[in-house]
Amino acid sequence: MPAIDTMTEQLASLTASRRQSAAWDAAYQEILAKLNRDGFLDQILPEGAEFPDFMLPSAEGRLVGLREALSHGPVVLQFFRGEWCPFCKLMLEALTESYDKIEAAGASLLALTPETGGLALKMKTRHHARFEVLADVDFGVGLAAGVVFKIPKLYRGRLDASGLSFPQRHGNAAWCLPVPATFIIAPDGRIAWRFVDVDFTHRAEPADIIAAIGQV
Amino acid sequence: MELSQVRYFITLCRTLNFTRAAEQCHVTQPAFTRAIQRLEDELGGPLLFRERNLTQLTELGRDMRPHLEAMLEAAEAATALAQAKRQHTSASLKIGLGPGIGASVIAPLLGEVTRVLPEVSIYFDEAGPSMLIDAMLGDALDCALLPDDCDLPERLNRWPLYTETAALIVPHAHRLARQNEVTARDILDETILVGERCGGFGNKLADITGYSLRLQRCNGAAAQMLDLVAAGLGIALLSERLSFGQEVKPCRFTEPDLTRRILLTAVAGRPLNPAAASFVKLCRARAFH
Repeated sequence: MPAIDTMTEQLASLTASRRQSAAWDAAYQEILAKLNRDGFLDQILPEGAEFPDFMLPSAEGRLVGLREALSHGPVVLQFFRGEWCPFCKLMLEALTESYDKIEAAGASLLALTPETGGLALKMKTRHHARFEVLADVDFGVGLAAGVVFKIPKLYRGRLDASGLSFPQRHGNAAWCLPVPATFIIAPDGRIAWRFVDVDFTHRAEPADIIAAIGQV
Repeated sequence: MELSQVRYFITLCRTLNFTRAAEQCHVTQPAFTRAIQRLEDELGGPLLFRERNLTQLTELGRDMRPHLEAMLEAAEAATALAQAKRQHTSASLKIGLGPGIGASVIAPLLGEVTRVLPEVSIYFDEAGPSMLIDAMLGDALDCALLPDDCDLPERLNRWPLYTETAALIVPHAHRLARQNEVTARDILDETILVGERCGGFGNKLADITGYSLRLQRCNGAAAQMLDLVAAGLGIALLSERLSFGQEVKPCRFTEPDLTRRILLTAVAGRPLNPAAASFVKLCRARAFH
């Protein structure tokens, strides 16, 4: 029986197919070059730092807090770019499949998206996710974590041309996005582990997240 | 971008003075200037003109200011709400409701705010758009639900929430009460109660169809108009989302389509207390059907 591809393999194959388009590749390279040049990763909350407590609206319209979630065990905090992003879809699928194991390891998962207008719920129901999907309205928690960047010109042009209206989806015309960072937050509120990469096609593999929860 | 860089930039926008802004942020001026430069590198150009006696925002600075201000407020509000919940902080939430806009759509969201912040007091102010806009600008209201056909000043943020359709409200004994669908032709001989505080659907109908309708002015709130309908003074066109009680019957009004879009509005750049900020976020996060 052929082995099921890991999420990382699926992401790599999606990236390879996207990169065949020269225009997509140029926009992608522009993001990586810009964030690397700016030293973007240095400004993201490091391991050991306290993750500021927050409350945000959930997909179902409840206000969900970090501290509350931490009272039941470690929290995996995952930033997503949005409902439209094919790389996020792969990751959501993988996390949904792995959620039993994440829970068995004693943790819960909070997924954050900057999108508004019911898109958090759309994202959650499409993948039948059992974890909370929260709307990080106006990028507040993303900004506090240091994961938000302004989208460079080429990539913004591609989004615009594809008809994705970020001002409408975000309710904010900043044209920003978070990098899809993962934080594992210990019950004392400190960041025990993190995965950060300027490349949005690179994500924390669920198996690595589960192993890291075991170390908290 | 970093939270501190954004905070420094917004402070600088307000003071237009590097020395004073650095003092207000409790950092040395070199550290402050470096942070602003890093933000400029990330945003792709200078945010300020630095002249000896004059600091001014560049076009990029002016463009980015409202967005960065909203992001900074969101970061602070998300933390402030968590803190308010822990400390059982009391707060007031003052909401304006434009003409004929009911609170039933937002009631579940208010329920969520009071679950998290039980000490909150909720106030409603029902009035015309210009009065509600003035009240928001004067800080007497946190936010307001307004129809999208009113003139909104640039200082107000606006987010489309939902579209509402008019229903025809008749007494139970009325000949139309048994009809599944009602059109403009069915009400040519009826007295239609219209008032500025009830959504303006009656006047809109007259404008769209060009029919000479029998309009009766009734300048009260929806509750009074419903009393008059129940008493047989006429029929009314009101938002289908209002609660109508037992005395009258709402009928589907199908032609022409009388709809309007309802916006949530709030003053840009004004920080809201945790109750008001969480209400605005709950409204923006979800879709209303």
